[in-house]
Amino acid sequence: MSLPELLRLALSRLRTNRLRAALTMLGVIIGVASVVALVGVGQGTTSNITTALSSLGTNLLTISPTSTSSDGSTTLTLDDAEAIAALPGVADVAPEVSTSQNVTAGGETTTTTIIGTTSAYPIVRAYRVWQGSALTDVAVDHGLRVAVLGKTTADDLKLSASDIGSQIRIGGIDFTLAGILQPKGGAGFQNPDDQVLVPVSTVQKYFVGGDSVRTIGVSVATAGEMATTNARISALLRQRHDLAATADDDFQVFDQTQLLAAASTITGTLTLLLGGIASISLVVGGIGIMNIMLVSVRERTREIGIRKAIGARGSDILAQFLVEALTLSLLGGLLGVALGLGISALIARVAGWTFAFTPTTLAAAVISSLLVGVVFGVWPARQAARLDPIAALRYE
Amino acid sequence: MPALLLQLKDVTKRHTASGGAAGVSVLAGITLDLALGETLAIVGPSGSGKSTMMNILGCLDRPSHGAYHLAGSAVAELDDDALARLRSRTIGFVFQSYNLLPRTSALDNVATPLLYQGVGRGERMRRARAALERLGLGDRVSHEPSELSGGQQQRVAIARALVTEPALVLADEPTGNLDSHAGAEVMAVLRDLHDQGRTVVLITHDTDVATSADRQIHLRDGRVAA
Repeated sequence: MSLPELLRLALSRLRTNRLRAALTMLGVIIGVASVVALVGVGQGTTSNITTALSSLGTNLLTISPTSTSSDGSTTLTLDDAEAIAALPGVADVAPEVSTSQNVTAGGETTTTTIIGTTSAYPIVRAYRVWQGSALTDVAVDHGLRVAVLGKTTADDLKLSASDIGSQIRIGGIDFTLAGILQPKGGAGFQNPDDQVLVPVSTVQKYFVGGDSVRTIGVSVATAGEMATTNARISALLRQRHDLAATADDDFQVFDQTQLLAAASTITGTLTLLLGGIASISLVVGGIGIMNIMLVSVRERTREIGIRKAIGARGSDILAQFLVEALTLSLLGGLLGVALGLGISALIARVAGWTFAFTPTTLAAAVISSLLVGVVFGVWPARQAARLDPIAALRYE
Repeated sequence: MPALLLQLKDVTKRHTASGGAAGVSVLAGITLDLALGETLAIVGPSGSGKSTMMNILGCLDRPSHGAYHLAGSAVAELDDDALARLRSRTIGFVFQSYNLLPRTSALDNVATPLLYQGVGRGERMRRARAALERLGLGDRVSHEPSELSGGQQQRVAIARALVTEPALVLADEPTGNLDSHAGAEVMAVLRDLHDQGRTVVLITHDTDVATSADRQIHLRDGRVAA
């Protein structure tokens, strides 16, 4: 018998017993929907974390000193930053010196972090300029009093696009507002939009003396060079700081991709765990199908006998019952996928992350529901196919 | 002498009892020839082995001993699939209790044997409709068995038996569940088949029904009595 014939037979059979078909399918629907929804939640979390981490900067290495002396100076210097910039594999370097100051504009005052840095900062830290311009090399070279504000700081001071070029006061000193950065949104404990960028030379001239820096941000040219560049920087700094072979590093290099890798391992495990728990309900749904198919074989013993008497072979009966079970599980699977996608879209909306699903998940859901149909449908179908036609015809 | 359709030679059927005991002989050495176009009535009281005879003639069962040749095939040597093919091509069954598929229209019931022959859907429906029309059920094609009278159900069953143009029609107590009027109708249909030159084997306990056949054999305790 051809597949369309078998499908027609199965569908007409399911139509005569709609409630039973619907209830049987419900098991598979719930199973597949929970697998799809929970895997969707797992993937949503993963992509959420990945996005948050990559908003910190692409291929970012952050170098910070391990200790700070009592006068606030550290072992990292601007010269270190320049030396790192000359290393192969390094695309951009942004040293950062920070201080906390009152910022005043018009009648508004706020206290925030002032970061002295270079023109490379927006590239290294993945910021974009919203209004005006970023710090220029000229401003950094000459220690000009220009400032680029984070969006939150600008909002606190009620500054907007029309205020570019106006004067603001930082720690009692006049600065020209050069630009405002695009907001990134919270990605950690610190609001990345509440800060003021000024040339590093200017900070050193007016606020913080000395040559030491708080951190050095390094943007590596390609993701594949992260590890080697990390090693080169360590070797260079050890050499520059005259550390003995046995001495510990007086700095640490933080690789963001390591954090990313750790995070995706955790969320991957979580996704697997959730999917695994949900699969149990799919198996239960499959057992429901087997149960109903066994009942159906018993009820339709006489029908099977008639079909055999009028020329059906065992394989025809097997195919008929198997296709019935498969139709139940596949229809249930498709409805379950739709329901599961709906649920995970809803969860994504509530949780505020982007709704992510992969075609692989869908294919896996459909294939596993088919598999459930085969695994739990074969046995009842074999029972049906093996019935002795004489006994089956006599069955009441 | 017309060609032989079927031939039984010393056919014995023994039901093996559970536990491997010798079992009971239900048929004991039946020998029988049937020519194409002949009608035969097998008559006997209940327990005489009629049903077993019907199952063996209908290729639902194999003889324990002896040979059965039907339309050139040695039935005893065939496997289940080959028996199914032989039933599908050669035999049309009419049962006492009609045995129509429940919740299935008369048309689909009659078309089902063609499904197992691999006939396409359009052709199946056309031939099933024609078979129903020949039996005067042209206006009942979409009725389900529960919506038909006993006589109509048995005529649907006969249409189903005839739709494959089988060499042999096997009717097992075809009037057993019918009132005398409907029974007479069904017998008229079966006589028509005989007149059209079909080979019909009629199994019955009713000697009146049996007289309409060319030939009768009487079964008693698994043997041919006369």
